[in-house]
Amino acid sequence: MKKILILLLIVFSFSGCEKDDICDSNTATTPRLVIECYEFGAISPTDKSVTNLKAVANGATNGVIFNTTTDDSKYLLNDKKILLPLQVTANTGIETTTYNLTLNYGDATTANTDVININYNQNNIYVSRACGYKTLFNLTNSNTDILVNDGNNWIKNIEIVKSNLENENEIHVKIYF
Amino acid sequence: MKSMLKYTFSLLFVLGSFFGQAQEVKTKDTINLKKDSIKPKTERYGLRLGVDLFKLSRSFYEKNYRGLEIVGDFKLTRKHYLAAEIGNENKTVDDEKLNFTTKGTYLKAGFDYNAYENWLGMHNMIYIGLRYGVSSFNQTLNSYSVYNPHPYFGESPTVVVNQKYDGLSAQWIEVVAGLKAEIITNLYIGFSVRLNNLITNKVPEGFDNLYIPGFNRTYGGNFGAGFNYTISYFVPLYKVTLKPKEKKIEKKK
Repeated sequence: MKKILILLLIVFSFSGCEKDDICDSNTATTPRLVIECYEFGAISPTDKSVTNLKAVANGATNGVIFNTTTDDSKYLLNDKKILLPLQVTANTGIETTTYNLTLNYGDATTANTDVININYNQNNIYVSRACGYKTLFNLTNSNTDILVNDGNNWIKNIEIVKSNLENENEIHVKIYF
Repeated sequence: MKSMLKYTFSLLFVLGSFFGQAQEVKTKDTINLKKDSIKPKTERYGLRLGVDLFKLSRSFYEKNYRGLEIVGDFKLTRKHYLAAEIGNENKTVDDEKLNFTTKGTYLKAGFDYNAYENWLGMHNMIYIGLRYGVSSFNQTLNSYSVYNPHPYFGESPTVVVNQKYDGLSAQWIEVVAGLKAEIITNLYIGFSVRLNNLITNKVPEGFDNLYIPGFNRTYGGNFGAGFNYTISYFVPLYKVTLKPKEKKIEKKK
């Protein structure tokens, strides 16, 4: 009888545990736009790192944080891959996020800012109790209307390779410079 | 934690009353009682009906919950009982990311096996049992927020949807362990814990059954758990005369 009681108590003690879920960071949730950078004009395209790239969205005061450093260098990217968050809204129509991408940020002579307009539809998908919903994006841009031509673009060519954004393990846009 | 304490207290309360009874009888000289008794021993058979006090009381103090569970068992043999629970729940869950309401009715049917050897004249139970549960329900997703691990634009807005998903159902097997103690003649209080395993689960498209009436919260897999805390009344229907057990009395000498 004692054994049964102990068993009851053990089982019972577990039934009190609730609300212990946290969304696992490995779960694929709302993806960012993945841009990969290539060298322009190369016969066989080779990927190329940007130097001190700063990305600031319209409506945001600070740049996208790319590094874990504590000073302002956290806004500067030196990599082949640019990951840009897209704004999630309640808008059921086409939403636009505009980014100002500055290459060689901080260098008075070589700094160059290009503007890209990313147009997309949003689709909310259920993930789990802990993560709630995620937003998947569907780009409505064509290759020609994504980059604003300012006469002195550092981006020589831009190409959408995958218009439906599902996760961050895929490449959505390629930049040649 | 607060509710944990409450449940622990309730459990201790049930146990306490149970042992209180046991003590009372133990003080009597049972061997003499058995020897001297002339009347043949009889055992009562009948139907026990009750209500889950936890669901009932929770309906009063929790504004997001309405629930009622009627419990019943029928004594089949000395140790075996047919047992069933029927209930209805209306629960709104307000999680960090989701807010939804589940409404539905359930039925659980099965048997209990009393593993407790009662002293003469007592009718207490420490039992294990098995149930097959069926639930029919609907869910309304009231609102949700989009999980955004990179909140560059601030937190995502909460989306109010009020999307209703009808015609949902689930079936499961439930393992029960519990006790029932007679506090005054024919009136019982009881406590049971249940471990559930889902067999079928009709999930809505684009959402999930995060709560199933009768089964309770789901944990992603098939596992579930629950408990109840009952008060019930025993309606004696007939009596059966017991055959004397010679061997047992000899052993006790």
